[in-house]
Amino acid sequence: MSDLDRAIAQLRSCRPIPEAQVRELCHKARELLIEEGNVVTVTAPVTICGDIHGQFHDLMELFRVGGDVPDTNYLFMGDFVDRGFYSLESFLLLLCLKVRYPDRMTLIRGNHESRQITTVYGFYDECLRKYGSANVWRYCCEVFDYLALGAIVLGASNTLEPSPEALAHSQSLGPTQGLTESDIEIEVLNADGVYINSFARKTQPSSAESSPAQSRTGAPGSGASGWSTGTPGNTSGAVLCVHGGLSPLIDTVDKIRILDRKQEVPHEGAMCDLLWSDPDEIDGWGLSPRGAGFLFGADIVRVFNHANDLSLIARAHQLVMEGFKEMFDSTIVTVWSAPNYCYRCGNVAAILELGEDGSGDGVIARSNGDVTRSDGGVMREKERLLLPGPARRYRVFQAAPQDSRGMPAKKPVIEYFL
Amino acid sequence: MSSSHIPNLLTSRRGPRLRGRGGGRGQGRGHDHVGASASSRRDQTIQATDTDAAVSRLSAVALGYLDDPYAQYFVHGAGTRRLPIINRGTYARTTAIDALVEAFLSLPESSSRKKQIISLGAGTDTRYFRLRAQNRHHNLIYHEFDYPSVCAAKYRIVEADIPALDGESLVLESGEAVLGNGEPQWSLLSSVNVEPDLRYICHPLDLRRLPSLESTTSIRGLQTDIPTLIISECCLCYLDVTDATAVIKWFVEKIAEVGIVLYEPVGPDDAFGQMMTDNLAARGITMPTVQRYKSITLQKERLAELGFREEEGGGGNDAVSVEHIWQTWVTDEERARVDSLEGLDEIEEWQMLARHYAVSWGWTGRWDDWMKPLVRIK
Repeated sequence: MSDLDRAIAQLRSCRPIPEAQVRELCHKARELLIEEGNVVTVTAPVTICGDIHGQFHDLMELFRVGGDVPDTNYLFMGDFVDRGFYSLESFLLLLCLKVRYPDRMTLIRGNHESRQITTVYGFYDECLRKYGSANVWRYCCEVFDYLALGAIVLGASNTLEPSPEALAHSQSLGPTQGLTESDIEIEVLNADGVYINSFARKTQPSSAESSPAQSRTGAPGSGASGWSTGTPGNTSGAVLCVHGGLSPLIDTVDKIRILDRKQEVPHEGAMCDLLWSDPDEIDGWGLSPRGAGFLFGADIVRVFNHANDLSLIARAHQLVMEGFKEMFDSTIVTVWSAPNYCYRCGNVAAILELGEDGSGDGVIARSNGDVTRSDGGVMREKERLLLPGPARRYRVFQAAPQDSRGMPAKKPVIEYFL
Repeated sequence: MSSSHIPNLLTSRRGPRLRGRGGGRGQGRGHDHVGASASSRRDQTIQATDTDAAVSRLSAVALGYLDDPYAQYFVHGAGTRRLPIINRGTYARTTAIDALVEAFLSLPESSSRKKQIISLGAGTDTRYFRLRAQNRHHNLIYHEFDYPSVCAAKYRIVEADIPALDGESLVLESGEAVLGNGEPQWSLLSSVNVEPDLRYICHPLDLRRLPSLESTTSIRGLQTDIPTLIISECCLCYLDVTDATAVIKWFVEKIAEVGIVLYEPVGPDDAFGQMMTDNLAARGITMPTVQRYKSITLQKERLAELGFREEEGGGGNDAVSVEHIWQTWVTDEERARVDSLEGLDEIEEWQMLARHYAVSWGWTGRWDDWMKPLVRIK
């Protein structure tokens, strides 16, 4: 067993590793991350995860639900640290897994991966408490500066192989009502893989949000799905993953690629916006109540996705009570992976699985090339060509049960106004 | 924010933090720990919520949210830095109640007529001393009620750290004659005139005993013929619904012209509210009134049933969430100032938390000018 495997085992049991080992790990991680571009290319299948925020036991639950590394290919969209009580163990475990399985683990930077934010929201205090000095915090912050700013997922299938549970559910509806696999655009499963819901591809794009809270009772399996031009094997457009969202200074993915990212997150500018912005029901751009980044509307997303051959933006950054929330006609989705956030919010969490394009013809959509694509999966909406979204399987899970934590029960005091 | 501003948790987590400052002071409850019954343990838990509030207040003061030179005296040690959403909430609740108090004190009255404030479960609250520092304590009699041990601890802190004004004296006396529980009560008297003038009095009384007192004369200094404001800042919510109702009724039935300000959680049934209930229960804290008056609407109905409703002789009620207070009572400039203190990333969490607390207020007299026009917190 290598030192790294030993460190992984120790961290998996939620025990910090010695300071010297953290230093070595961070050094190795930096060597690895420095080779990555600002926008990492990831090939499906991949499981996309949102904020973790130091909720170590819930991260273990995430791995139980989503599959272990390296069996599952993971992409974490930042905010590993702060707020929860185990930022250190959570981040170091993810970092160890990154160093151990670099091709199966993608980590991109969140706005909490910052010196300034971690001093306010807990990671700094936690390092000080657990090591008696700020050295480990400093090593980690140096790694933060090297984390990529985004990722592009290529080769995601636009059809879902239905889970056995969903298939069973579908068959119970009878042959005329049941879903065929090419109809399923979104499937929602619970932590045990039990089918909760699925949504067929829409025949008409609607402006309504696809909220996981409401179930669609449209006409599944009518066979008239204009979206499902794809037979199994069709590749959807690319998916951009970024922690926060878009920036008025960034109109192409290539502009992200040329940023100088190896620094503390600035208070303004493109890099700041990518980590801080939020989608909102507005036209164009708006001021963010967070004091950093911007709000951006559906029109901004539509133009950006079109210009960059994207079918979807996946982002994290905002607590959503149902774990995920698709907006703007499914052109952007928020994925949130910290259940019962801050041990206070009572929310569920989700991860997003994108399947592999099964066509095997090796053609992978370029994410940011010129607009010269001409495949059958293109549809016209408001004079803009939109690529079909990848089929999306959300696994929704709750906070790890207290008694499964198998450690001295530290009763955290959750703050309220008393 | 440089890291030197961050409190070192290694030093601030030393032992349980008790009310009061310095060795020995503020620890008067020690004797009843051994063999405590379930109900007295619950009382201690509720008293500890006041320590929690004092720490939150000091955190907000230390970071510049609030200006309160007295907050430091009521926290043992250097205090603990609270999260930005907690600091913002402490700011919003404190300034909202300050605004209601200020509006009450500004109600037009003949200059000779006194006003009265009754603060229930006041604990370590510093509002009286802040009013006094602003010279707003004239023509005012200010009552505080709390557990005897809390009142005794507060006396020790005030005696040691908050000097009396010129012509003012701090008086500690046996409460036996009036409250019959042998607990000392204490007060601040002005002796400028020949007849000593009671300005502030701290009544050592478990509020659940109040409804059994037949006469208002048992409560020293309580006047029934002057405009009176009752404040319950997260106090009555810890009592059983019947006790809380009886306490308010006791005052409403005896005082002709009375207003009330309630600050307590709402919305216990959604996912956030259920988690709040569970988390507080894990700390031994239950809030019976929150389970009964679950929404802002129900809080208003509660006030109406207690007599705070529009009638011929005046009266009315209203209630808003802390989120509403933050969004609409606080001026843009002030919000910008507060926002700049430490930044607040957790917008969604703040909104959720702030929607689960409400300030409700009601009045029986002709107080049409109270809270009208809309108070702006500057």
